[in-house]
Amino acid sequence: MALIELTEVTKKYRVGEQEIRALDGVDLRIEQGEYCAIIGPSGSGKSTLMHLLGCLDTPTTGRVMIDGVDVSKASDDRLAEMRNEKIGFVFQAFNLLTKMTVLENVELPMIYSGASKAERRERAMIAITRVGLETRAKNTPLQLSGGQMQRVAIARALVNDPKIVFADEPTGNLDSTTGANILALFRELSEQGRTIVLVTHDNEIAAATPRRIVIRDGKIMPGNDWHSGLRPIPLRTP
Amino acid sequence: MNVWNSLAIGLREILAHKFRSFLTMLGVILGVASLLTTFALVEGLAKSSREMMNSLGGVERVNVISQEIPQDQIMMSDTSPGRTIADAEAIERSATLVKAVAPIYEIGTIVRHNGHDFTGSVRGVWPSHVIVNRHTVEHGRNLSQLDLDEANHVCVIGTKIVSELWPEQPKSKPLGEIILVNNRPFTVVGILENYESEEAKHARIEGRPPPRGKFGKQWNPYDRKNATFLIPFTTMFYEFKSTSLASTKNAAPSVGSVKDDPGPIYKLDELAFQVADPNNMQPALDEVRQILLGTHRGVEDFTFDTRQEWADSTEQTTNNIRLVGGLISSIALIVGGIGITNIMLASITERIREIGVRRAVGAKARHIFTQIVAESIAVAILGGILGLFAALGLMGIIQYATDGASVPIVNAQAALVSFAFAVAIGILSGIYPAWSASRIEPIEALRYG
Repeated sequence: MALIELTEVTKKYRVGEQEIRALDGVDLRIEQGEYCAIIGPSGSGKSTLMHLLGCLDTPTTGRVMIDGVDVSKASDDRLAEMRNEKIGFVFQAFNLLTKMTVLENVELPMIYSGASKAERRERAMIAITRVGLETRAKNTPLQLSGGQMQRVAIARALVNDPKIVFADEPTGNLDSTTGANILALFRELSEQGRTIVLVTHDNEIAAATPRRIVIRDGKIMPGNDWHSGLRPIPLRTP
Repeated sequence: MNVWNSLAIGLREILAHKFRSFLTMLGVILGVASLLTTFALVEGLAKSSREMMNSLGGVERVNVISQEIPQDQIMMSDTSPGRTIADAEAIERSATLVKAVAPIYEIGTIVRHNGHDFTGSVRGVWPSHVIVNRHTVEHGRNLSQLDLDEANHVCVIGTKIVSELWPEQPKSKPLGEIILVNNRPFTVVGILENYESEEAKHARIEGRPPPRGKFGKQWNPYDRKNATFLIPFTTMFYEFKSTSLASTKNAAPSVGSVKDDPGPIYKLDELAFQVADPNNMQPALDEVRQILLGTHRGVEDFTFDTRQEWADSTEQTTNNIRLVGGLISSIALIVGGIGITNIMLASITERIREIGVRRAVGAKARHIFTQIVAESIAVAILGGILGLFAALGLMGIIQYATDGASVPIVNAQAALVSFAFAVAIGILSGIYPAWSASRIEPIEALRYG
């Protein structure tokens, strides 16, 4: 069974009188250990898709299975648990809490999973070391560079050992060199067997992934998906 | 994510915006301060009232006072001799629930020593007078039964008499000196303690000027008690009451002949007694009533004036003031709570992204709720603690401004109530912002800003 399985998923919003179909009958499978990109222009529904995959939202119709759990009709609390245990997020704007230190930021997911203080400290330090920032653990995010901040965010995403990491335009706020370093880090994580989903509008970034899922007007474009028969795009060193 | 964790996060949020938090807290600080100050002032008032009542004999002291003869006894009115010494003797002989009885003859007259004089009241009393009226003989001795038996010309006086008759040495102890009471010589055998309020005592010990009286300078109950002038009951009768010509009251210049003398005055000016157990007041009153109905030959021309009513009404008044003052001060605290709500709502808008991040990494709605409530509780607790200190300052200012006339009394209960109220306000004012924060959808929160 696939790690992520979407069946006939639609998502509708009402904006005033108008009904917007952000997702329109999406079927999608992502396997354990895959490194893929969801690409599409703004308004294509890629953010909505990521919200559904990331358990931040539930579909209007259809079924979303994450790691064998049907989250389509899950309660708010159940979704929070899923996010806490199985999903890590990396955002374009880093979304670090600026009043806290790097260490505390990375500890944050564990506060909600109920880890003890000592365990939190230990695991956070491991994650920070993993992204190479062990010397900056006591700094606040505002004392770091953009690339370092994104590394902190990645450490935070990894700290609860999630099944999937979602990265929403992770290089959007970074210069190209730093962005490339971040992508390299993702690839490294992927090579270690972590499932990673990048969400981007940038083809160049998407090209760094073996599989690209192109979404347009709420539908997945068949031609561009590896599963639809195209040969995989070879990994390119950024 | 336990309570301490939440409170720690709340505290951290407060410290991150020190000035803003202080302004938010100010409402709570002032609310708690005014609440506690009100409680303390009322407590001080109640205490000085109790103190005063105690100095006048306490609740155990009951006055026998005359009353209109009931309609159905009008024709018997002449049979009753009124309040006489026979009443006192009968009570002393027969009443088992009475500890002491004090019959009083009183004249208003001039007492004189060495050219200094003092106009006041002189009382002829039994030795038990000091018990019923809570007097303490500090120097010399009390009046004795022997003084009464022999109708000795001795007196026990209060400190005010001393300071009026010996103005050069107001603190002297003129035992053995002779004072003229309406030109009859009386030897001083006892001097009473100097009565003063607790506040005056503290002021004296600390070397401050004495406080102004609660009822203005004109009437100080302790002044009156210090002007006590006691002589034996029998001496009073023989010298001043056996013939009305002898007493100054009736010795008008035009009334000069024995013919006009109405004869000895047997009626007492006052009759008081002390019940043995103030909690067992009614049986004692019933007992005395039966005794007095005997001596008054069945005519009910007397009734009892107990301090109980006074005590009750004092208690009632203090409770009312406490309630009203508490209510008014609570308004300040509630306004403080609204301030917290307001700031919390503003800070949520400011931190909506933080809420989104917390939600994204796995915070449940109730975690967000707890966090915001914990923050407002932290504000309230901190404000409450500072408010308790502010109350002390406020009381100091009030004491200074009123020249020490109001001495607030802080008790632990009042402090606890004020503090608990502040915390309750903190919880209540945090609920709405916390609820609205927990209702924000994670995606909305993340998209914001």
